[in-house]
Amino acid sequence: MPTDGPVALRQRVNRREFLRRAGCGAGMGVLIVGAGRARLSAQPVSPYPDWIPPSSKPPKPGGVLTRASSWDPPVLDPRLTQSIGLFQFAALTSNRLVRYAFADEASGTNDLTLKGDLAESWQSSPDHRVWTFKLRQGVKWHNVPPLNGRGLVAADVKHCFEAYAKEGVQSFTFREIEGMETPDEHTLRVHLQSPNVLFPQNLAEPITVIFAREVLEEDGDLKKRLIGTGPYLLKEHTRKVRVVLARNPDYFDKGRPYVDEYTILSTPDAATRLAAFRTGQSDILWLASLGEVETVRKTNPAAVVQEYKNVLAPFGLALAQDKPPFNDVRVRRAISMAVDRQKQVDTLFEGHGIPGWGVPYLYYQDKMPTLAQLGPWWQHRPTEAKKLLAEAGHANGFETTLFYYEYFPQMTSQVQLVQQDLKRNLNINVKITKLDYTTYYGRYVESKWDGMAWGFQSGHAVGLDERTYQYMHSKSTKNFFRVNDPLIDELTTKLRQTPDRGEQRTIARKIVDREYDQVLRMWMPYDNGFLVFQPHVRNMAALALRRTDGYGASAIARLWLDK
Amino acid sequence: MHKYVIRRLLLAIPVLLLSSLIVFGLMRVMPGDALTALMAESGNVGERELRKLREDLGLGRPYHEQYLIWLWQLVSLNPGYSIFTNEPIAAALGKSIPVTIELATLAMLLGLVIAIPVGVLSATRADRPADYVGRVVAVSGLSLPDFWLGTLVITFAALWLHWIPPLGYASLWESPWRNLQQFLLPAAVLGFRLSAATMRMTRSTVLEVLREDYVRTAWAKGLEGRIVVYKHALKNALIPVVTIVGGQLGTLLAGTVVVETIFALPGMGRLTVEAILFRDYPVVQTNVMLVATTLVTLNLLVDLTYAWLDPRIHYQ
Repeated sequence: MPTDGPVALRQRVNRREFLRRAGCGAGMGVLIVGAGRARLSAQPVSPYPDWIPPSSKPPKPGGVLTRASSWDPPVLDPRLTQSIGLFQFAALTSNRLVRYAFADEASGTNDLTLKGDLAESWQSSPDHRVWTFKLRQGVKWHNVPPLNGRGLVAADVKHCFEAYAKEGVQSFTFREIEGMETPDEHTLRVHLQSPNVLFPQNLAEPITVIFAREVLEEDGDLKKRLIGTGPYLLKEHTRKVRVVLARNPDYFDKGRPYVDEYTILSTPDAATRLAAFRTGQSDILWLASLGEVETVRKTNPAAVVQEYKNVLAPFGLALAQDKPPFNDVRVRRAISMAVDRQKQVDTLFEGHGIPGWGVPYLYYQDKMPTLAQLGPWWQHRPTEAKKLLAEAGHANGFETTLFYYEYFPQMTSQVQLVQQDLKRNLNINVKITKLDYTTYYGRYVESKWDGMAWGFQSGHAVGLDERTYQYMHSKSTKNFFRVNDPLIDELTTKLRQTPDRGEQRTIARKIVDREYDQVLRMWMPYDNGFLVFQPHVRNMAALALRRTDGYGASAIARLWLDK
Repeated sequence: MHKYVIRRLLLAIPVLLLSSLIVFGLMRVMPGDALTALMAESGNVGERELRKLREDLGLGRPYHEQYLIWLWQLVSLNPGYSIFTNEPIAAALGKSIPVTIELATLAMLLGLVIAIPVGVLSATRADRPADYVGRVVAVSGLSLPDFWLGTLVITFAALWLHWIPPLGYASLWESPWRNLQQFLLPAAVLGFRLSAATMRMTRSTVLEVLREDYVRTAWAKGLEGRIVVYKHALKNALIPVVTIVGGQLGTLLAGTVVVETIFALPGMGRLTVEAILFRDYPVVQTNVMLVATTLVTLNLLVDLTYAWLDPRIHYQ
């Protein structure tokens, strides 16, 4: 579930669910290991579609949409957090300059076409260093003080981007801006420090919302009020209780949104969310396993289910590859071959997961890769792994450490399975330390640790630039896996200078091939999921990398209730 | 009596001071801080900027300064602001305390309504079927964890009744009926668990008291069984029960997080746990001090109740 990322995942699988899975797992483990080896490479077939086309009926305006949500916004200030808790509704109160296609205008789940949001059009200079955005006319800020419905101008966007660059979690993206001009009220010209053809994709990320400068000037921060130009106004935010959004009658996209009110109810427990869906208190539900979907369908047979196939794995084994022994590619390859990923998929994710890769596959190929396609070092070959480790001078293994934070209960089992594989196959003794969330983050992102960490890539971003240059370039502050490979640096930089989509795919392919060959990031299996919604909800389908209930929430402006 | 109360209140000061030092120290010993929790995940914030933000929030000051500032804020009843949300802590507590108090009070009432009669029944019908049933109920209450019982209750309510308490907390004053629906099940879950220990204690102390000479005398005088049990025996059997109930009330104020989570109630438990996870120092410290003060006060009240229950007890 990459669109939700690590932060969101913390709450997704709870204790109850884990106990259930553990109970199943004990029995299943025996069955699968003993009898299921033959089907290991294939996922169980799900009877649910991975794409639900938009409704052909004319939309009906009105109604109230309700969702029991596990996420709470830590703060309202988009400069301070990338949390899905905030962007599950900030994406509706505010707009970005550009966006990805919504479900009712997309050709399918993998459609990554960029559309104008606040910008009507955009183009770059021939050297891709200067980007000019023409803003939509007639866009108004929400009709509440201190904006009182005034019109949006280019200077607002400029101010917002400057604030993002100045401080906060988005500074990396916006610091590549060298300067900005506003030749007229509806034109913004952005000068970049270096060419980047993927800059508009970065602006289409769900977190790059345009906020109101007046609020920042009056309050000194954005922690109290969220005022934007979006389809909904923030009517109420009561921490740990509810967020209520009311339809913005002055929204520039006339006729939209269709639903009058959208209420997000803070519901941290998965059993309660499930009960809320069953009793009709919630219209939307996310489930992690096929078994759970079947259980819900027994009481709610009319519920609509979309299978959500992950296009990347957010977690993997990060090695201190700038230090011995992990700076030796043979050691990394040996470790990768010693790990039985398919066993993890079958036991931990009930056979319904992906073996793991870091760059979304749809940027370089159409179909989901199989484990075999990831290359020789990603196959479970313990004998060859031992031989390779001996060649690297570690025939008797070695001692190392691994720290992690348990984002979801299966993760502890996953870490322990890796520990067992490394001990059994390579005689590597891994001392595991389980940390709390803040300690883990502090240590992990500081990048001064030795040994191993259970690494992550955050879930808000869907762009190719984010997933390649920003996570893999040696100079990027997001290079948590400590990749330091000249070829990767060259390819990720070249990607930023290549406008042709076909060539981009070729380069992205080269990047992942290099990543797999050098085992620069050792991705681990991850599960898929299911989006379940009440039968009266129309145009709810999620797209690849953009779950409608999460970072892809802006699509809710297109949703309507057929009641 | 007055002197005793004053002495106890004075003794509470070092206890609370020590508590404040412990919670302050423990929070600082824990790795990471609110900024790490909030921003570090993005990987976008440089060390220099983080340092500046820490300075802005006062996290860069020497520990003794931070402690004294916080202590002064506590004494002046102005605990400051959450460093995570910027919300005044008093406001955050003002929203969460009523939820927890209501939940704890309802749970306690339900617990006592179950525990005292069943405990007395068990004692007066010792080793008979009614006693066995009461003891099984008590052992179940002790053995079944809140999270399991809560999950079961909400799941079966949805399956069998097609109803669960309405989500989205409503206060008692806003909407009493909705509020009652929201609190009844969680209070029953908590109350059932609380009733177990009280029930067992009531049974054993009533059994003990029923063997006392004065009770035998009461029987010998030909008094009605109800009068003997409830007027003569029960009151004297209540001292250990009151001790347990007092302790339970303190635990309830600090430990309803599981039930609050399952039933989506925005009480103190959720507030504190979130604050600990995100290293929101002032919120954690204030909440802990509030609980510590409540426990100290409850202990004093429990001790004072002894004198009321047993006139032979005098405080000097």
